Amino acid sequence: MLVRHGELLAYSSDGLPGYTKVPSIAVFPGTREEVVAVVRELASHDVPFVPRGAGTGLSGGALADGMVLLGLNRLRRILSVDPVNQLAVVEPGVVNTVLTREVSKHGMHYAPDPSSQAACTIGGNVAENAGGPHCLKYGVTLNHVVAISAVLPDGEVYTFGNAAGENVGYDLVGAFVGSEGCFGVALDVTVRLQRNPQGVRTLLADFMSIDAAARAVSAIIAKGVLPAALEMMDAATIRAVEASIYAAGYPADAAAVLLIELDGFEAGLDEDVATVVALCTAAGARSVRVAKDEAERMKLWQGRKKAFGAMGRISPHLVVQDAVVPRTKLPAVLERIHEISQRHRVNVCNVFHAGDGNLHPNIGYDAHDADESARVHKAMREIMELCIDEGGSITGEHGVGMDKLAYMDRLFTAGTLRAMCDLRSVFDPKRRSNPGKVVPIHSCREWTAAPAARAAVAAQ
Amino acid sequence: MATEAASSRVLDARRSGRSLRIVAGGNWLGASGGGGNTVQSADTLSLAHDRGIVEYVPGDLTLTARAGTPIAELIAAVKANDQWLPLDPWGGDSGTLGATLSTATAGPHSHAMGLPRDVALGLEFVSGTGEVIRAGGRVVKNVAGFDLTRLVIGAWGSLGVITEVTIRLRARPTALRSYLLGVDTGAATLNDLAVNLRALPFTPVASELVNAALARRLGVGDNASVIVRVAGNANSVNAQTAALRRLGRLSDAPGDVWRRLREMDHGAEATWRRSQLPSAFGDTWASLERGTKDLDQALMHGNPLRSVVRVAASGDTGELRRCVTHGVGTLAIEMFPPRDGPLVLQESTQRRKNAALERRLRDTFDPDRVLNPGIMGIDA
Repeated sequence: MLVRHGELLAYSSDGLPGYTKVPSIAVFPGTREEVVAVVRELASHDVPFVPRGAGTGLSGGALADGMVLLGLNRLRRILSVDPVNQLAVVEPGVVNTVLTREVSKHGMHYAPDPSSQAACTIGGNVAENAGGPHCLKYGVTLNHVVAISAVLPDGEVYTFGNAAGENVGYDLVGAFVGSEGCFGVALDVTVRLQRNPQGVRTLLADFMSIDAAARAVSAIIAKGVLPAALEMMDAATIRAVEASIYAAGYPADAAAVLLIELDGFEAGLDEDVATVVALCTAAGARSVRVAKDEAERMKLWQGRKKAFGAMGRISPHLVVQDAVVPRTKLPAVLERIHEISQRHRVNVCNVFHAGDGNLHPNIGYDAHDADESARVHKAMREIMELCIDEGGSITGEHGVGMDKLAYMDRLFTAGTLRAMCDLRSVFDPKRRSNPGKVVPIHSCREWTAAPAARAAVAAQ
Repeated sequence: MATEAASSRVLDARRSGRSLRIVAGGNWLGASGGGGNTVQSADTLSLAHDRGIVEYVPGDLTLTARAGTPIAELIAAVKANDQWLPLDPWGGDSGTLGATLSTATAGPHSHAMGLPRDVALGLEFVSGTGEVIRAGGRVVKNVAGFDLTRLVIGAWGSLGVITEVTIRLRARPTALRSYLLGVDTGAATLNDLAVNLRALPFTPVASELVNAALARRLGVGDNASVIVRVAGNANSVNAQTAALRRLGRLSDAPGDVWRRLREMDHGAEATWRRSQLPSAFGDTWASLERGTKDLDQALMHGNPLRSVVRVAASGDTGELRRCVTHGVGTLAIEMFPPRDGPLVLQESTQRRKNAALERRLRDTFDPDRVLNPGIMGIDA
């Protein structure tokens, strides 16, 4: 348990710059029983708390403003692996890639692969319904979780879902996954394991215009080939990557590159590769390169996975944004984003899951420069509003947290936001778990928990 | 607008203390009960005329349609663009989009294509208080806000009347082939079959073990066998076929067998699904087979990839009922004759605890039990 201000500062931010909130206390239980005991103790005093995994979130969702921070990262046991039924049961603090490493001896992996996968936890992935490049083919966290044991904020322990199959009753797993820590704390999670593909082909297609690259994306998606991943990087991203230690050999003068991965049954792969090469060429690709070996494949991916790091290197702070648009709107939306960034004099780098229409417009800046920060926020707001107006969403995989609260009113009707508040109240009637996040407070019929609970903390 | 009409019907019913049985195609709650319990209401809210495609942009591979649209109509529309609707409800394609989502019914392609919860991107529904709620969205990836979409799918209308749905589509594979795989239905053999099918380096796009009675009805022989379908490009399909041949006797099956399979058990008095881990698929099959030995018209089929066995029977189902409720795993109920009383699988402490939480959900979204009262077994 940490109580000193200096120590608590380490937990005052997550992966998103611009927000700093210091918790009043940080508690790090080491066992399932300790988590339940802590949650019950908090319940008995009506104290609000914020669950936290590795703190790699990008929406300010795990920040505790003068509240108790409940760290789950010590619960990192893999409880069981069943290779025959392709299931694993893990504690919430298990790091995403640690699970994949553990099951690799069975020729399997855990499919959701957010960029932070070397640090982020399964519990955090469940809270955010995390995605990643390969969810185009394999689905997001929700599609890979079959059961969850959780302690609800009142201290009661439940098991949702069943590894054996579907049960009578509501989809409580579906409700819990992506609830951003507002419905309770996962104690163990049963996930599906994915068999490693028999064959993998990784392609790099380079384009002289973003528009041509975006049209190639639509053509590939519409054809009967479902790539494992279909990622786009624009010129600014390519330059940042190539100037860093993660240089992947991307063509430095390209307006955009597509990183395309095809995987699965070996027998059909080369035919699919030929189809994709033909579609890229028809859309105007200057060249399409197929990685010759694993080393070249890893290098191409390294550039993509470390793109955020490469951008972070050239600016003191980096906003990694997240929004979704219908795939056919990509060319027009990217054009508008470019126009917005010029008007506000900010540098937007686009590196994103093009196959899903899941944009990541990133802006490098200096958060201590008030004028630049203001311009960055204005540009971001316009980009978010643009995505909403084009029929998209304000987040595809990072969550709402604190950062996207302001857009919820524009995306959803008042009735829908009320229904979300009501759903939260079923799991957490006093709204003590991660209060103030996801749904704007004014949408809820009543809001009493936070101030009263803060007083309770002060009284102790 | 049809949503407003549905909303005012719900509001009127609530004000006058009445309740509504929600129907569209009439496959599920038309005549007898459904979801394991009778819906004890006099009035009917029909969505049958609230139909049609609202938005379909083939390049986005998404489609939005009104709840009363028959599945067959949607399949025709997307097929014209070489696309695939990843929904294949039991009961057949006369069933509607709304009912497919409300019941979460998932046919033989669902292991490869996803369950309704996996393919629905968003929906509009009317809660039991008459509130119109638009959950999710129309894009393929979306984590904005709490997930009301998943909650309503499979809730049999008890949290809201679904009025509109957005689904993600798939591109249609260039080659599709269907086969019969001859199998011995001993429990141990079937356990192995489920594990072996899952261990293949590809996923068959559909697979369904059918019992002898169902095989005869489908005209695919007199013995139990697995109907299996492979998809992909030509090279891939050839190699998949060769791999299946190593698992057993393989012969061609007609491509329309999948649609007919889903239509076969229509009208059965009782329909249950049991599931266990894939490694115990054969045990589930064997236990339900024991329960149907005196019911020569009982139709049984099971998905070895998902490890779910479904049985549809009419008449004296006493023995079957004992077998269905015995053992480990999970039980889902589609149709059940009300005369036989409630049916539960080894009521556990956990199940009772979840039922309390589910009742709170029901209290929140339909406090006066206007929608399909008695369904889901939590209203008592």
